[in-house]
Amino acid sequence: MVEVELRGVWKRFGDFVAVKNVNLRFPDGKFSSILGPSGSGKTTLLYLIAGIYKPSRGEILFDGEDVSQLPPNKRNVGLVFQNYALYPHMTVYENIAFPLTIKGLPRGEIEERVHSVARMLHIDELLDRYPHQISGGQQQRVALARALVKEPALLLLDEPLSNLDALVRLEIRGELKRLQRRLGITTIYVTHDQSEALAMADLIAVIHRGEIQQVGSPEDVYRRPRNLFVAGFIGMPPANLVKATVTRAPAPCVVIAGGGEYCPGEPLASKLEALGLEAVVVAFRPEDVVLGEHPMEDYVSLEAEVYVVETLGRENLVTLRLPDGQAVKAITSPLLNPRPGDKMYVNVEPSKILLYDPETELNIEAIEAAPAARPVSLAEASERRRAAQEED
Amino acid sequence: MPRPRLPAPALFLSLAAFLVLVFYIVPLILTLWASLTPVRNWNVAQLRQFVGAENYKRLFHLIRFDPDVSTVVKTTIVFVAGTLAVNVLGGLLLALAAFIIEERASLGFRLLWFLPRMTPVAVFGLLWYYFFYPQGTLNAILLRLHLISHPVNWGQDVLPWGPWSIIIFVNGLVGVSYGMIIFYSAFKAIPKDIYRAALVDGARLRDLVFRIMLPLTRWHLIFVTVWQLLSLLTTYAHLFVLVEWGVVEKWHGMTWALYVFETAFGSAVNDQALASAAATLLVVVGIGLGLLTLRLMGFERELGAVRGEL
Repeated sequence: MVEVELRGVWKRFGDFVAVKNVNLRFPDGKFSSILGPSGSGKTTLLYLIAGIYKPSRGEILFDGEDVSQLPPNKRNVGLVFQNYALYPHMTVYENIAFPLTIKGLPRGEIEERVHSVARMLHIDELLDRYPHQISGGQQQRVALARALVKEPALLLLDEPLSNLDALVRLEIRGELKRLQRRLGITTIYVTHDQSEALAMADLIAVIHRGEIQQVGSPEDVYRRPRNLFVAGFIGMPPANLVKATVTRAPAPCVVIAGGGEYCPGEPLASKLEALGLEAVVVAFRPEDVVLGEHPMEDYVSLEAEVYVVETLGRENLVTLRLPDGQAVKAITSPLLNPRPGDKMYVNVEPSKILLYDPETELNIEAIEAAPAARPVSLAEASERRRAAQEED
Repeated sequence: MPRPRLPAPALFLSLAAFLVLVFYIVPLILTLWASLTPVRNWNVAQLRQFVGAENYKRLFHLIRFDPDVSTVVKTTIVFVAGTLAVNVLGGLLLALAAFIIEERASLGFRLLWFLPRMTPVAVFGLLWYYFFYPQGTLNAILLRLHLISHPVNWGQDVLPWGPWSIIIFVNGLVGVSYGMIIFYSAFKAIPKDIYRAALVDGARLRDLVFRIMLPLTRWHLIFVTVWQLLSLLTTYAHLFVLVEWGVVEKWHGMTWALYVFETAFGSAVNDQALASAAATLLVVVGIGLGLLTLRLMGFERELGAVRGEL
């Protein structure tokens, strides 16, 4: 199909910068997702790819060819809008046929293609109706059919499920993914719903305030958030973020309120050392917490007081307070039902703990060993080079 | 839910009902009444005498045999049809232009076209008087371009299309902003995503206009057409000025509404009975044409089936 690449793409609306220096590659035939909260610039990014907006700076390439200045109708993309944007004065048939009609294809071919895509999406019974006569889920399928009927090289979806009720959403979510696999069409899916992105996408690009925060597989984004924003955005509920101090006697250790101490192994320890941080933010997922009445061996254990227990059916969500007042959430079995005010231990396996620099908000693991922010003098640089050579 | 009691709605309606009664229903009845009497020269005592359909007989006789009155009928038909076309099609074109050009420029553009409507009738009439009269701007330009060899009195001598063109032109300029503003806001009211979807689907400007914008603003088109039709049937202010100042020849610049005015209040005749009959005829024709237009443009179909989101 087509590989989409964005190189240094900016988009300004007056003084407002909607998209800031975005460099991204959406692989050919894959299902990629642009994930971000509302107002993060994700729809703008999608419209840039569709050609509805032109970038203020930078290039957009389809299979290596610069399409930045091409209008939407020259890009061979299908786009499904959040509100579907069906033409209210046309029947379902006319809506789906619209891209083919204005191309001036012969009537017989239009009919054949409309019927075939309508059959695929199970809307062949609805062709004579008007958009206002069908349900939201059906409108969604019609919008998808209209995008697919022209056999685009690239399918763009702008929050296509957000206007549907929960059950229909789950159903269409599965269908969409199967459909994408079957057609092998490069798909970019914009959503604010991380569960959709995690469930469907091969590749997730997290965007916030117009800037790409992290690009990676769902696993990457979930397990190794590159910065505090991603850690605090992904997950239901998102990761716990707890402020902690760093001690150095003799190895660097992180001291967390509630009596927790975490002494990371290499290479994290030396990175921590090299950065010379006094404080860090500790992140761990609520589902990685083992809540118990006692501290557990080989775990980092924090003493905390139960604040509130939410019964979610399959599990309980317990919010606790550390002695210094910071809140921590834990997902537990529904059988464990502590009462507010109970003293409990929040036990976390050290391997599940991530450390972030509170200044740059970056995952310390992801920071290059030498602190990039500090300029290195020429003398220092030659010193280092000599030291490196001597080691060899 | 219990139905609201009568007094509250009646109270709200009463002011409007009062105004309609005093300024529309009562004059209508008076006109109808007067058309059945021999009233002339403001001799109101004659309002008590009845002559039956005598005035209507006179009126149809005049239409058939008086060349001036039959010219008025022709002028009315040409004027209404021509100006209506200018107002509706011109309004559409201007609205499209205002919609396509950049927002900031668009405001000035729309204001510019509103000037004729905001200018007092006499001032606007004077402007075109200076433009069209034999020693006016138009002839000066044409002479300079050597398109004519001597000044032409377009409104008086080039019959019938000289005066007809002038009255259509002047009234078209006044009326075109109305359609423009309605169509422009209608185009603006179509959700942006509909335009975007059409663009992504491959639509060019032509497709956008004919397949998306016009079908979705059909209701506005019907409204503007009928509204302007009825306005044009009854308008006479600009025509009065043009005729009075001799910009256009009297009978080729006079529509039925102005004929009613001239017959009732003009310097020569003051035949209120005949004018009343002519006015009544105008109301009947107006209602008929209005209903016909609504039927032709599928008004009931529009009302019957709601399409799109409410």
